[in-house]
Amino acid sequence: MTLTIDSLVVGYGKREVVKGATLDVSKGELVGLLGSNGSGKSTLIKTIAGINRHTRGTITWNGGTDLANLPRRELAKIVAYVPQSIGLSFALDIKEAVLLGRTPYFGTKPRDEDWQHVEAAMRLLGLDELGDRNVTELSGGQGQRVLIARALAQDPEILLLDEPTSALDIRYQWQTLSVAREVTRKNNVAGVIAIHDLNQAARFTDRVVFLHDGEVIGDGRPADVYSPELIKRVYGVDVEISTYKGFAQVHPLSERAEHLLRTPPVAPAYTPVFAEARLELHA
Amino acid sequence: MSSIQTDPTLVGTPAGGGRPRRQRDRYAYQNTAIALGLVAVLVTAIIGVQIGTSGATFVNVLETFWGKITGVVPTDRAVLQVQTVIWELRVPRVLLAIFGGAALAVAGTLFQGLLRNPLVSPYTLGIAPAAAFGASLAIVIFGATAGSATISLVIGALLFSFLNTALVLSLASTRNLNPTSLILVGIALSQLFGALTACIQYFAEDEILAAIVRWTWGSVNNSAWYQVLVLLVLLGITFPYIRFRSGALNAIAFAGDDSAKTLGVAVSRVRLESIAIAATLTAVTIAFTGIIGFVGLVAPHIARLVVGSNHRFLTTFSAIIGALLLVVSDAVGRLVISPGVIPVGIIDALVGAPIFLYLILTRQKAIE
Ligand SMILES: Nc1ncnc2c1ncn2[C@@H]1O[C@H](COP(=O)(O)OP(=O)(O)OP(=O)(O)O)[C@@H](O)[C@H]1O
Ligand SMILES: [Mg+2]
Repeated sequence: MTLTIDSLVVGYGKREVVKGATLDVSKGELVGLLGSNGSGKSTLIKTIAGINRHTRGTITWNGGTDLANLPRRELAKIVAYVPQSIGLSFALDIKEAVLLGRTPYFGTKPRDEDWQHVEAAMRLLGLDELGDRNVTELSGGQGQRVLIARALAQDPEILLLDEPTSALDIRYQWQTLSVAREVTRKNNVAGVIAIHDLNQAARFTDRVVFLHDGEVIGDGRPADVYSPELIKRVYGVDVEISTYKGFAQVHPLSERAEHLLRTPPVAPAYTPVFAEARLELHA
Repeated sequence: MSSIQTDPTLVGTPAGGGRPRRQRDRYAYQNTAIALGLVAVLVTAIIGVQIGTSGATFVNVLETFWGKITGVVPTDRAVLQVQTVIWELRVPRVLLAIFGGAALAVAGTLFQGLLRNPLVSPYTLGIAPAAAFGASLAIVIFGATAGSATISLVIGALLFSFLNTALVLSLASTRNLNPTSLILVGIALSQLFGALTACIQYFAEDEILAAIVRWTWGSVNNSAWYQVLVLLVLLGITFPYIRFRSGALNAIAFAGDDSAKTLGVAVSRVRLESIAIAATLTAVTIAFTGIIGFVGLVAPHIARLVVGSNHRFLTTFSAIIGALLLVVSDAVGRLVISPGVIPVGIIDALVGAPIFLYLILTRQKAIE
């Protein structure tokens, strides 16, 4: 009962961006996808979601189903995707926006069952309290919650989230990650979440996968995978790793920044450049 | 500010639980609006048929239709004349306004949704300048007043509209038909055909020039039954498809291309088919009427303000608004300087702009 990605190669034009990635995600598991900007996280997620096409490798579900060859509509009943951001051009009320998640299930007219999924998803994300407001009137974080509710209304078996917490304040980051955590566990959904915050990844995911230049270079429990060497390799940053309540926590080191913090401010002196500029003005 | 419920008992029950609310009446408002709109179209149509230099009463109109149904020809010459005016001039005129307005409004709705851009009109992809060029060419070749002028105009306009659409779609398909490419290619072709028409106008004699300009004003003055029937058939064929695709249109318009794909929508295919339909509706309409502006841009917005953005209701209600706008505009155009007629393309902007402004401003207030 897993999502299995084997030797996946995805590119834009001739340029390969994901270069033979292999990983698997079990039902009920939330896997954090980590890596620097441009490492191919979004590309990998979009390929699983059927937005991008891969050139080599396989994506299979439950051992047999080739997700890449599934008709779009059938794929949409298995895989739900929460994009990194959304641009809005027309007003639509929140409920209608969440109802979009039921698109693969109904024809022209939503059935009672579709509305039940919509209401459950809205309740789960606290959207019913926003009433019949328009999505154009929402804050970035509220809009993000609408997108997550839409994905949940899709009743997926695989849930893909591309940096869902980037626009949220700490409270909604926490709550969104809790929802992702609980949905995967309780509904037995295989979850993949691209996320930048290593500490949050350590607290909310079962497993992390490090993507570096399109390749998987680390895969396992955060506490086992996080190491100063790996993080230096991925991000080029020196870190120290500690344990807080059993979770691995990453602390970037910067002697220069710490030194500057301890240095009291000094009165600015005229630099020769400024002095010359002054002279020119008077001349 | 609300909070997310992370109560574990709620998470396990995506489909069940909670108060079972009836959603059937959720769209009662939209359905009522559509029903009332249809009644309004009928009423304005009947009034529109009665307006004109030789007066016609409601009874005359009923008698004419009854006569057509039963096949009884009146013996009284005066009655026959009134009935002929109604049947040959007024009815096709009003129906052309109704179907033309509906077609342009539906096309506008489709284009705005598919290109995810509220500023788009049926003419954004360059159909109007292309049609104008085709019509101008026909006027130059066949003369401004020749008996065959009308049909050659229709064919000229149609030919170049389709040529333009084919060009836009094939050029933009190299960029996966993404909205920005479509709009940019449309702008380029608009400029091209605009310049070609300007060339013709520059070298044309006064009479030809006047005919070209008259065509570009857009009117239902030259309405004919065959035009009404063609549009009726076209709308009859395309409307079920548009309704069938309303879910896909919603996904493309409100979720964007990537997300729409993950919602099971074949985005490129739906966009290609729907643009072809919208372009055909536009091309055929303006081949019959000339360029009637405004209605295709504004009817969708007026409709959106009334019934909301869900395409399941929006396309239908846009069609109703478009029809109403043109029927009323044409009636007004025939009344103000009677017996002269101001082209409907001019009046619809004069009538529509204040309505549109009123709706935008009052709506704005409701939000603040
Ligand atoms: N549509 C596209 N066309 C061409 N190249 C693209 C496209 N989308 C992404 N890329 C390139 O592919 C590489 C990987 O991008 P991707 O968006 O997958 O990275 P990411 O890991 O999600 O980064 P981030 O952390 O910034 O979201 C980048 O070098 C990017 O420039
Ligand atoms: Mg990304």
